[in-house]
Amino acid sequence: MHQRSESNYSNNYSLLDMYKEDSEDEQNTLNTSKLDSINQQTTKEILNGDFDRYGFKKVSVHSSITNETYNDWFKEYAEFLKERKTKWVMLLKSNGLQVDSEKTIPSRFPPKSDKVKKLIRKGIPGEWRGSAWFFYAGGYEKLNKHVGVYDKIVRDTKNLQNKDTDVIERDLNRTFPDNIYFNGSLRSNQDGTPGKQKPQSQEEEKNSSPMIRSLRRVLVAFAHYQPQIGYCQSLNFLAGLLLLFMSEERSFWLLVILTERIIPKVHSKNLEGVHTDQGVLMLCIKEYIPSLWSILGKTFEGEVLSEDKILTKLPPVTLVTSSWFMSVFVGVLPIESVLRIWDILWYEGSKTIFRFALTLCKTCLESEEFQNAKPRKKNTELEQVELFQFMQSFPKTLINPNVLVDNCFKKIGGYGYGSISQDEINKCREFVAKQRQKLKNKSNSVINPEMNAQERRLLTGDDDIHDVYGFNRSIMSGVAWNNNISNKMKKRFSRKASKSSLV
Amino acid sequence: MSFPNPAKAVKLVLLGEAAVGKSSLVLRFVSNDFQENKEPTIGAAFLTQKCTIGDKTIKYEIWDTAGQERFASLAPMYYRNAQAALVVYDITKPASFLKARHWVKELHEQASKDITIALVGNKYDLVEDENDGDTLRKVSVEEGQKLAEDEGLLFFETSAKTSYNVNEVFVGIGTKIPESSAPTGVQQAGNEAGRIDLTTGAASTTQQTSGCC
Repeated sequence: MHQRSESNYSNNYSLLDMYKEDSEDEQNTLNTSKLDSINQQTTKEILNGDFDRYGFKKVSVHSSITNETYNDWFKEYAEFLKERKTKWVMLLKSNGLQVDSEKTIPSRFPPKSDKVKKLIRKGIPGEWRGSAWFFYAGGYEKLNKHVGVYDKIVRDTKNLQNKDTDVIERDLNRTFPDNIYFNGSLRSNQDGTPGKQKPQSQEEEKNSSPMIRSLRRVLVAFAHYQPQIGYCQSLNFLAGLLLLFMSEERSFWLLVILTERIIPKVHSKNLEGVHTDQGVLMLCIKEYIPSLWSILGKTFEGEVLSEDKILTKLPPVTLVTSSWFMSVFVGVLPIESVLRIWDILWYEGSKTIFRFALTLCKTCLESEEFQNAKPRKKNTELEQVELFQFMQSFPKTLINPNVLVDNCFKKIGGYGYGSISQDEINKCREFVAKQRQKLKNKSNSVINPEMNAQERRLLTGDDDIHDVYGFNRSIMSGVAWNNNISNKMKKRFSRKASKSSLV
Repeated sequence: MSFPNPAKAVKLVLLGEAAVGKSSLVLRFVSNDFQENKEPTIGAAFLTQKCTIGDKTIKYEIWDTAGQERFASLAPMYYRNAQAALVVYDITKPASFLKARHWVKELHEQASKDITIALVGNKYDLVEDENDGDTLRKVSVEEGQKLAEDEGLLFFETSAKTSYNVNEVFVGIGTKIPESSAPTGVQQAGNEAGRIDLTTGAASTTQQTSGCC
């Protein structure tokens, strides 16, 4: 099953390899991972330096986290990481898998079990992440069915130029400009020499970091391989994060797995999956966090969105939450939290995104800032926009992943967001997708689904047909919402009512 | 912090092709900052910023949007009820000017009738130093001006990088915007005593007035 042995995927690369600025055959680098420094940096080096274990600036321009806050957290977290690594080594050994030395990166992991799941939720050792993600997501199965395919696509698309490659080019240098592997100028700045500005000429472009070149190849190959998606902004962040932990070829296949199985159609040309998943999320918020729904489940005119209207008139907050899905929290949360969610995602599937989205909503709702601001609830559009602004900036301050993960999986009255099963999510998705399809058929049976909103409007002269705010009619009445969740939540809230409020 | 006059809330939406500098213009206006290679916006970003023009205080409620075409299906939600729009293009990219034309057309057809639109040609810093030949500039000032005149738009060439003309755009809009254009219920929203701003972190600049004027 796992013919690709460790020797094929030797992980003995060093950072130095990354910065060899010579023009060695790029194909040679296709099967190698980029990051092996995670284990080499000591806690002290990180505490004294400007960058984290993954090459990101500790102090991001995007959040209010200071160097002091970071270090206070990391001092403690580094101890936690050591402890976790020991547990993982024990787990592997007890499953007859060899871990020869500190530096060994296993290519195989124990089969799925409650014990493994528990360990995964507490975090995979950073240097093992790429390997574990790939293993549990079914990467080997995918790869074994497509031996040599990635290399061939890369060769075929080498000089490709189209609309997708045009947008890809614009996004390459805009992917993780805070990361030393993506932005070479950070490195020279660190050495005390002036940093390069963004490449302007072709000459300079050729000298872009190896990571940027890898990212280009993966994104172009992906757009070519999945023409129904092509290139969608946010894929750059997904591919970029994968590339920090594994080879190009593996990154490519995990991106395929993510977009095929985990969040299908979310990046497709009409973003249909975004609308579906946001519909599901909104229904979940309504069921699970009714107090937040009472604030967000309205149009700007103050119209309360009843259940049968949610799917036809997604509330404006989905403009915020849709990026949580498209980027799978990259850029939404501090990187360590993103990685902890990704650990769980590749093992447990798409329910993970919904569970954490709900956790984030709840965390925002229960924050001091939000609670203090609540009394002035007048529900004007301005207030909603301020709330959106808060929901965009606040998650970036949640530096401790352990708190986030605990909040996600803790149970109150026997239920927590961890109680939402994949089966429920699948059913909800199917339900939402079906309803949307019905409405579409009804509203614009003559309209080709490939048309964009503008074309549809031109054809129908109807402003209300586009995907989010369309379907004014209440032809959804009598919708039978998923009884499973409803019943469960009824139980949950009746129990909760007798207890004190959630922490 | 108190304001002598009620702040008038103005919903302003940014539209334009990917990577023309929409988010950078907002970052310059709100935080007086610039970030090389700013990450693409996914979905939308929301910011608020107060701006004082004479004795008038405006609170801009800024909707910064994703530039890639497929996100356009969300656009009507963006410009619904918008009182102002910035249609941004990159003066070194002719295709982005073409896209700007489309946005202007769409706004005239679909947005509210009294919307104030500013056409903004960004990345002026790239052509500033060119003494002759104008090699990087691909959209002339005259082309921009003509479109603005034909369609009744404000027109600016800006550089979010050097901050050239950025505040002028927002002041210009604030000056031109009709007094009565704010929807009821929104107009007085900025004037509640002791109100707490939800803003945190890097975006907590809404109380600054210095970013403008």
